[in-house]
Amino acid sequence: MPSRSTSLALALAIMALSAWGVFSALGWPWKAKLFPLVIGIPLFCLATAEALWVIFGKQDAAAASDFKLSEGLERNVVLRRTALAAAWMIGFFALIVLVGFPIAVPVLVFVYLKVQGKEGWLFTGVFTAAVWAFFYGLFDLLLHLHFPEGWLLSWFG
Amino acid sequence: MGEAFVQGLLLVLQWKPFAFMLLGIGIGFWVGLLPGIGGATTLALMLPFIYNMQPVEAFAFLLGMHSVVATTGDVTSILFGVPGEATTAAIILDGHAMAKKGEAGRALGAALASSLVGALIGAAALALAIPIVRPLVLTFGSPELFMLAIVGLAFIASLSAQGARGMVRGFLAGGLGLFLAMVGQDPQAGIARYTLDTLYLWQGLDLVPVLVGLFAIPEIIDLVVRGTSIAGDAPVGRISRGALEGIKDVFRHFWLTIRCSLIGTFIGITPGLGGAVAQWMAYGHATQSARTPEERRGFGQGDVRGVIGPGAACNSKEGGALIPTIAFGVPGSTSMAILLGGFFLLGLVPGPDMLTKHLSVTFSLVWTIVLANVITVAACFLLLNRLTALTAVQGHLLVPVILVLVFIGSYTSNSSYADIVVTIVFGAVGYFMVVAGWPRAPLVLGLVLGKIAENYLYISVARYDAGWLTRPVVLALLAIAIGVIFYPAIQAWRARRRHA
Repeated sequence: MPSRSTSLALALAIMALSAWGVFSALGWPWKAKLFPLVIGIPLFCLATAEALWVIFGKQDAAAASDFKLSEGLERNVVLRRTALAAAWMIGFFALIVLVGFPIAVPVLVFVYLKVQGKEGWLFTGVFTAAVWAFFYGLFDLLLHLHFPEGWLLSWFG
Repeated sequence: MGEAFVQGLLLVLQWKPFAFMLLGIGIGFWVGLLPGIGGATTLALMLPFIYNMQPVEAFAFLLGMHSVVATTGDVTSILFGVPGEATTAAIILDGHAMAKKGEAGRALGAALASSLVGALIGAAALALAIPIVRPLVLTFGSPELFMLAIVGLAFIASLSAQGARGMVRGFLAGGLGLFLAMVGQDPQAGIARYTLDTLYLWQGLDLVPVLVGLFAIPEIIDLVVRGTSIAGDAPVGRISRGALEGIKDVFRHFWLTIRCSLIGTFIGITPGLGGAVAQWMAYGHATQSARTPEERRGFGQGDVRGVIGPGAACNSKEGGALIPTIAFGVPGSTSMAILLGGFFLLGLVPGPDMLTKHLSVTFSLVWTIVLANVITVAACFLLLNRLTALTAVQGHLLVPVILVLVFIGSYTSNSSYADIVVTIVFGAVGYFMVVAGWPRAPLVLGLVLGKIAENYLYISVARYDAGWLTRPVVLALLAIAIGVIFYPAIQAWRARRRHA
């Protein structure tokens, strides 16, 4: 079932965004503000309509024809695991910035398999090596993509 | 003409062009499978290698690579819910839903078969349409092209329309996409709009990090939350039988396949719209084929027509996009612009010469598209069991690998950490949209169309004032847009009358 509060939050965010967009555009030459005004004003009106619909509407809207999240798990479990997934992503990003892709990739795979997957040492090691070989072979050797070494390594030379 | 047609085939079948085509297909196959690494980027990376090639060899290599990227991109989209290419995002909605129900083989069969039909139709269109299409394309000015963008958006907003409320959300998402497309330096006055005083945003939001975040991140979160494989507890089933069922589906809905292929071809022909638009237009058309509201609700939850439509359009657009590129030197997409660079590198000038002096080279392009797609689809069917078995792999093995590909794919678009930030931000937006039951497709289409639409609107107003609104083709397109918006309501009213 689609979440009413999330829908309201999205509508309010779009209202704020479009209001800021229209307000910012007012000071620009007409060439630059034509499209922001043509899009921003109706967007604000539509977002307001959606927000009012959520607040005063009695019936929930049907979910869109799109991907649906899995159901059947307890709300607490879903929230905890969602926060965990977000933490892994942000952690991986922080690792990339600090030590660069060539080190961050094997570290993520290894730690994820050990901590989240609870896999054995041998399997974790082999799987990590395989992913790293794929990463190095494809992106470095074949495609010659340059990945910076990360802030930490730059600082320590 | 007939002689040049056969000569074109014989040129491609010579051992060197054929070998280069196979090499191109091999590269395109893997590029398509990897999320975020775009066909256009790879085309640009490979351009320096064609200096020493003959024109037929170079185009067999480049076009062989480019024309299969969308086909294998469909495989990643269906199996992992991650767009293998920006042009294969629409197929996720129903294709991945089918994979989660254990029908990955059927979805892949339908996608591959419809891709092949689409590619053949696109190639046929390229062979036949040049004398017919030229006057049509030339009658389209900026006002008509702007309205075409609006029709595209109306199509997509309507596919999310389960009632007026759904329509509002569809247009909200589309409007948000158009709004986000305005980020960056304004093309007319050079003003930095909504850049938050950052240099990165001056060039606007890149499509790849946005798309990857919007579609891949919610999927990764769901995979972590479920803690199972992509297919979950659903049986993966006998893939070969499933794939056969998918092929049969294409022939069951053969007219839909043809119509969506023609949509793709037409979008391909129209300069500036591109493949990302073609797939969503075709998806919108596929949802319009639902006869009842119940049937419509099945879209997004694993309706095979939602796979067939985008699959056919994605590949047919390549043949279509080559028409203005070859005939008028007007590239229909980024990839075609890069390919145009290839023409000049080899000393070929697009235009009348390509239709007279180098006609056999032009037909060799048609044959390259046909052969490359036949070979790729055959290879995919041979590897199907191995590819589909990936959906049964446990989530904790897939998550880090997908995460690595998502972040690298996103990073490589501009080689900036900000690309990854954009992916994470739009991942959050995509996740909340899924939680709230909002459609993501209109947002993507708005983002894709935004810059083009703004440019055409500006030229229309500057050139014609309000007079552009009275042009006959504009009025016809406006009527189509209104028809598309109100069609679901009319359908519901007719269904109510039938039941009463």
